[in-house]
Amino acid sequence: MPALSSGRDRISDLPDDALHHVLSFLEARQAIRTSLLARRWRHLWKSATGLQVVSWSAVQEIRAFVDRLLLLREASHSHLRRCELYLLGGFSAADEPRMNFWIRQAVRNVRVFRLVIVGDHNLADPLFHPDGLPLVSRHLTRLELQAHIEFNDTFLNFSGCPALEELEITGCDFTTSANRISSISLKHLSICGSFSSRNSRTRIHAPNLVSLWLELLQLKVPTGTVVVDLNRGQDCKDVQCRDCYSIEDDSSNDGCVLLKGLSQAKKLALIAESKTFIFRRDLKRCPMFSNLKILLLNEHWCAPADLHALSCILEHSPVLEKPSLQLFSKGPRHKVKMKGSRNPSEIPTATLQHLETVEVKCEVIDEIVLNVLKFLSKLDIRFSFED
Amino acid sequence: MASAGSGDEKAAAAAMITLISSDNEKFEVTEATATLSQTIRHMIEDGCTDGGVPLPNVTSKILARVIEYCKKHATAAAGEEGSSSSFSDAAFLEVDRAFLEELEEFDDAFLEVDRATLFDLILAANYLDIKGLLNLTCQKVADSVKGKTPEQIREMYNIVNDLTPEEEAEIRRETQWAFE
Repeated sequence: MPALSSGRDRISDLPDDALHHVLSFLEARQAIRTSLLARRWRHLWKSATGLQVVSWSAVQEIRAFVDRLLLLREASHSHLRRCELYLLGGFSAADEPRMNFWIRQAVRNVRVFRLVIVGDHNLADPLFHPDGLPLVSRHLTRLELQAHIEFNDTFLNFSGCPALEELEITGCDFTTSANRISSISLKHLSICGSFSSRNSRTRIHAPNLVSLWLELLQLKVPTGTVVVDLNRGQDCKDVQCRDCYSIEDDSSNDGCVLLKGLSQAKKLALIAESKTFIFRRDLKRCPMFSNLKILLLNEHWCAPADLHALSCILEHSPVLEKPSLQLFSKGPRHKVKMKGSRNPSEIPTATLQHLETVEVKCEVIDEIVLNVLKFLSKLDIRFSFED
Repeated sequence: MASAGSGDEKAAAAAMITLISSDNEKFEVTEATATLSQTIRHMIEDGCTDGGVPLPNVTSKILARVIEYCKKHATAAAGEEGSSSSFSDAAFLEVDRAFLEELEEFDDAFLEVDRATLFDLILAANYLDIKGLLNLTCQKVADSVKGKTPEQIREMYNIVNDLTPEEEAEIRRETQWAFE
């Protein structure tokens, strides 16, 4: 960025709100230090629209600092929109009540709250235990938790946060007593974490959910990832995903399996991470995806040789427009990218009447890819290569 | 509506807003582009955009840049109802991810401006209440001072230190708790 030609102090001429916003992007201590710039700057930081605390020290060492900072900002809470706590230096069990207090305190007045907890040394991230009190905030719209948190049902009951629309959870643990995530207002939910293999069910009760992203690691049983996106207006009232896995448990007669819960989705990405077919049980009762237009599948949907899973999904997606198959390809830069479309000279077949394009991305064209291409060519789909 | 305007889609496409810069230049933009500005959105809702929207605080040079930003981001927001979330439709497939990358590249290139322009953009984004643009430009300023001492920041931005030594000592005392 070239310097100003004139010697004018343009930055101090900015209106207060703009400077409050600039300061919101600075770490708390650095923001406080701007009070020494000039008289104009002395009190600006106290009204910054965001508060960022980044600490590489143990929680115990920053207690007094964070306490005082939160108290101070509480006094000018009308300005504060966003609060981010990065606790990167570890903590002990004795610190947990204080950390719980900080979260409760910070959440109360902000719209966006982000909590990141990472352990010291190279040990596993410490497990943080929220206390048994619900979060309460009239303003909170977005909550981001990136920490090894052992949830409980009270914490995940967001009835005290009536404005909450976005919840992003990373690295958390649902193994114990969290059976239900519930929020009436929630529109977007993203979970990337671990669930135990025991026969627990974590229900997501969010009747107004628009999109759901689940990336779950399961211990002991095949690992898998499920990514789902539900579109508003597709009548997906009360999405309930129980466990995300149809584990090896074929004996269970539970009808509410994952695919069924997603049958109203307009866009769906199903990415299995294991060869053992985790959706096997679901496919036996494959629902009709009557709204599904965009579908993303990976290689585990394209095995075994009979492509049973792939054809099952395609047959049950009457209005599918854009399927995309990513085979052993991590992207975003694929070595091989092929685009297929219906051969226009052919009379449309009964299935896939709305098909626009089929995309296949991979690193090499191997047997599996060829098998898929053969299968698709039987559906009158012709391919061309792309760069 | 005129004869050709049949169907909602056509009516929406035809909704154009005229923005008038401080130096009296007229810019015709779609409503989707204009409503990235909350200020203009409210004006449209109040039905006071007939005859154009005068923007006495924004020069034609800056307004052209602001419109460039809004046009690009209006396309991006189209599928997600103006949401600022990371859960956008566009992120869904890689085809669209390429578009998000493109958007990021656009933002980076957009910020390649001199400081005077950057400050003018902040003023315009603040006045027009364009959240994305305000975040983008303010973040850029914040990044430029990250890790710098007050002295370095003053030098960088021509800030004159008008604090008396007593005041400076007082501020240091007041904020000492943060640096212990």
